[in-house]
Amino acid sequence: MPAETPDLGAIERAALGEVAAADTPQSLRETRARFLGRRGSLSGVLRSLGELPAERRSAIGSAANALKQRIEAWVGERQAELERDLQSAELAKHRLDVTLPGASLRRGALHPVTFVERDMVEFFQGLGFSVVEGPEVESDYNNFEALNFPPDHPARDMHDTFFVEGGAVLRTHTSPVQIRAMRDREPPFRFIAPGRVFRTDHGSTKSPLFHQIEGFLVDEEVTFADLKGVLYAFAHHLMGSDVPLRFRASFFPFTEPSAEMDFWWNDQWLEWGGCGMIHPRVLENVGVDPARYRGFAFGMGIDRTAMRRYGIPNIHALFDSDVRIREQL
Amino acid sequence: MRVPLGWLSEFIDLPEDPETLAERLTLAGLELDEILRTGPELEGVRVGQVVAHERHPNADRLSLCRVDLGEGEPVDIVCGAPNVAPGQKVAVVSPGTRLPDGTKVKKTKIRGVVSHGMICSLRELGLGDEHSGILVLDADAEIGAPLASQMGGETVLDLELTPNRGDCTSLLGVAREVRAHFGGTLRLPPCEPNEVEREASDDIRISIEDPAGCYCYAGRVVLGVKLGPSPDWLRERLEACGQRSLGIAVDVTNLTLLEFGQPLHAFDLASIRGAEIRVRAARADERIVTLDGQTRELSTEDLVIADAERPVAIAGVMGGVETEVGETTVDILLESAHFAPSRVRRTARRLNLHSEASYRFERGIDPEGVVRAVDRAARLLSELSGGAVSRGVVEARGDPAPVPGPIRLDPKLPEQLLGVPLQTEEVVAMLGRVGVRTELAPDGRLECVAPSWRNDLGIPEDLVEEVGRVLGYDQIEPTMPIGAAVPATEPAAYRLADRVRDLLVGSGLSEMRAFPAVSDSDLDAMRLAEDDPRRRSVRLLNPIVEEEPCLRSDLVPTLLRAVHRNLSHQLDRVRLFEVSRVFRTCEGRQLPEERLRAAAVLTRGERQNLWEAAEPAPLFFEAKGIVEGLLREFRVEARFRSGTEQPYLHPAAAGEFVAGKDVLATVGELHPEVAAHFEIEDACGVLELDLDALETAEAGAARSKFVEVSKFPAVRRDLAILVDEARGAGEVLEAMCKGGGSTLVSVTLFDRYQGKGIPDGKVSLAFRLIFQRPDRTLRDAEVAGTTDRIVKMLAHRFGGELR
Repeated sequence: MPAETPDLGAIERAALGEVAAADTPQSLRETRARFLGRRGSLSGVLRSLGELPAERRSAIGSAANALKQRIEAWVGERQAELERDLQSAELAKHRLDVTLPGASLRRGALHPVTFVERDMVEFFQGLGFSVVEGPEVESDYNNFEALNFPPDHPARDMHDTFFVEGGAVLRTHTSPVQIRAMRDREPPFRFIAPGRVFRTDHGSTKSPLFHQIEGFLVDEEVTFADLKGVLYAFAHHLMGSDVPLRFRASFFPFTEPSAEMDFWWNDQWLEWGGCGMIHPRVLENVGVDPARYRGFAFGMGIDRTAMRRYGIPNIHALFDSDVRIREQL
Repeated sequence: MRVPLGWLSEFIDLPEDPETLAERLTLAGLELDEILRTGPELEGVRVGQVVAHERHPNADRLSLCRVDLGEGEPVDIVCGAPNVAPGQKVAVVSPGTRLPDGTKVKKTKIRGVVSHGMICSLRELGLGDEHSGILVLDADAEIGAPLASQMGGETVLDLELTPNRGDCTSLLGVAREVRAHFGGTLRLPPCEPNEVEREASDDIRISIEDPAGCYCYAGRVVLGVKLGPSPDWLRERLEACGQRSLGIAVDVTNLTLLEFGQPLHAFDLASIRGAEIRVRAARADERIVTLDGQTRELSTEDLVIADAERPVAIAGVMGGVETEVGETTVDILLESAHFAPSRVRRTARRLNLHSEASYRFERGIDPEGVVRAVDRAARLLSELSGGAVSRGVVEARGDPAPVPGPIRLDPKLPEQLLGVPLQTEEVVAMLGRVGVRTELAPDGRLECVAPSWRNDLGIPEDLVEEVGRVLGYDQIEPTMPIGAAVPATEPAAYRLADRVRDLLVGSGLSEMRAFPAVSDSDLDAMRLAEDDPRRRSVRLLNPIVEEEPCLRSDLVPTLLRAVHRNLSHQLDRVRLFEVSRVFRTCEGRQLPEERLRAAAVLTRGERQNLWEAAEPAPLFFEAKGIVEGLLREFRVEARFRSGTEQPYLHPAAAGEFVAGKDVLATVGELHPEVAAHFEIEDACGVLELDLDALETAEAGAARSKFVEVSKFPAVRRDLAILVDEARGAGEVLEAMCKGGGSTLVSVTLFDRYQGKGIPDGKVSLAFRLIFQRPDRTLRDAEVAGTTDRIVKMLAHRFGGELR
């Protein structure tokens, strides 16, 4: 009996539907076997090719082989799909509530004054100023006399001083570091001296502890305009180039001419610090020849800079030990 | 210094806008504190005009006024005053405003007619006692304007003066500054008194017995005065400057002081014994009751004004009560003098008695203004009191007042110092504006003579500042300094402190900064022994808090207070540190020893995130871990030893890190007694670092060297050893590291166990050992041999048994 022409189209339609319907690797394997397994319908066609008349054998044979490859491909694709689903389901089992807070490493916080001081020091180191330090308990000589505050002079009233048993004082400004640093060195030099200073006046806007950064430069040709230039650049570095600044005449026994520098914050001018050209008597006191050398010096407030930067309305917040304040920055 | 602008404008023409004036003065060094307005505070009171007036329909004594307030329709106001009349300008209080006595004005019906406010009398406005009728204002008062603007109030500049500018402590001085910056001509008030025949010297003799303390003393006599309250204008001027009116005689001296900056004093001439004034040093045991009613013990350093018998005033500071001018005074001696500034200052400081007079004398007065002021005061006094001014000023002179000599100024100096191009003529002109006379010397320098009132101008740099001030600091263009580029450095300690801060912050601690004073009881609470070096604290003579005079010799008390404070605010997780100096007196040296330290405190706090890792180790190990991490960062080889001499730490939960002889760090939990003192109920870990010692140790530490890693497999062995629980695990660990041979590359303790299966008094320590060779793979037998040796060593040294 001549073999019937196999219905490859029906096999193809059935395979397409059944492969797509297989929803586990197991059922997909079974589906594959139904078509391509040893007893699979397409395998049956291939096996029975020999029974076909020679003139149709080759055409049907190649069509059946092509179909076999297509079915293999469908199975492969479906297989990959099923694996992906399986993997997704597996991943879903390990779902975390990612909205929980992160496991905190709980860093602490630096003090705002430290932040600002570093910023300040970095600026001046860029200009070649080296850091120098001095003691916080100072002699009257270094804190006042060498800086041209005569013993019975009203200028001393500008500094409400903490006196220490034995005649020393808590330094009222960082300027005594000028005396210490200049005493044993030959100009030219440029130094900064950040540090704590102390005055007895305290109230809503004053703290008995506050911080200054002293700076001084001594060379043969230094001008007041240079001082202004350095301090303006400094202010712009810290507070942005649009901060309103003011340089006005003032008085300090250890500078001449003297100036005070203000910045604008919260609708008012705030005093930032004092500065001026180092008084020739101070240079003499430290053994620098005022006929040859000149210098400028300044002492700017770190606390106020920090207050402005972080929007701290009250200086006392800087020295509060409340952890809610201390851990903010 | 309060400067009423109306008054100031009598001395010199002012720019129209007070802000412009204030800004220029501020730039020039007379800093504006604030602009005040004197006169009544009359918010809500406006000028109205009575446009119609009729009898109240239901009350004979009341009238109904229609009042124009300058906006909208005129309003009806019921008024009870007899003097109200149409056309008058009056003070109207609108509904909703509170009168000075506290009553709130409302829109009310008065006998059936609605009244939209109130027309006020002086008394109702709180401006005086007049209440017989309403206040009728000048015809040119502006309708609708706030009353305050029509009441002759003054705009007052409150200027903050620097101590060098004693010359600006008067209207004349400020007027001179105004002239320097805005130009104009000064106008002085009339000074010349109308003298009578009688010679002043007939009634008073003046001598100076302490010529170094008094350069000049000038007296004037005014006879037959009738004293009483001062006229309004005088009272108002004093009040505008923040002073109280105390009667004609005193007010005249105070007014003159404000005008010229020259302190004056008025004596009741009749009470001056022996009709003589002697300026002399006080004698030992002398005393005087000053005008403030206080008895003052004088010292021989004080300068006094005395009569023939006793001191009658402390020179330049305050007068005495016994010669005070009173209601019954008939004849007056006016004093105007020039005292040595430092003498006045010393006495004022010693007596803690600071007056308007001492303030000015300390800063130095104008020696050429002494006589002018006493003339002015005599003239005013005679005008206001009807007294007669005797002929002549009785004057005595002491040493000549020290005057700064002429200053030789290189005309190039202003340019060199300010960094602004300036021609000699410009310099000369600018100096001229502040009253400095200049003359060009043959050598090209300028011979400069400062005016008598500028005792602060002594060296060329002072004149450069004057040039700068007249030019205006805002006119100086900023430039950058030139100079050789030098590498910037910083002290090792400074750098180290900063690194320590970063490491502590990285360990979860936050930085605090505190005023460095503590109390003696804080030191007691720390359980410091009597001979503990930290008891040698440096003491403040004028501490902020009386009980806290000790500069910190240890940082921990401050931190413990911080812990307490936070805990009492229900903030139970406290992690704070401070880096700061500590102080200790130093035998034979004026300045104390300062050492740089860091200290930290830790409390646990409630755990909030329970999904994280299991319960952490005791606080001690957290503190110790922080220190270990820090020391590792600094590459410092430090030995840990159990226990500490720190009395504030728990004796069984504390230890120290030691390098050489130095204790680099102490860690521990807080001693329960200390915790109780500071009212700390939670467990608290404490660590202290000696940063000076750390710096030394770091400087001596060997730089770390690269070590090649082995490419051959490592072998891992775990050992559990039973040892006596008294033995520290650290000791065992160290012995293994030392005795393990070259193939043992690491040992870690990974478990410590006591409990079931472990005999009492024993502890099981589990170690992980890693063996490796750099050159080849280890054989099992080799590892077994080494492990065996280690076990034997442990058995021998610690009685350890393998589990």
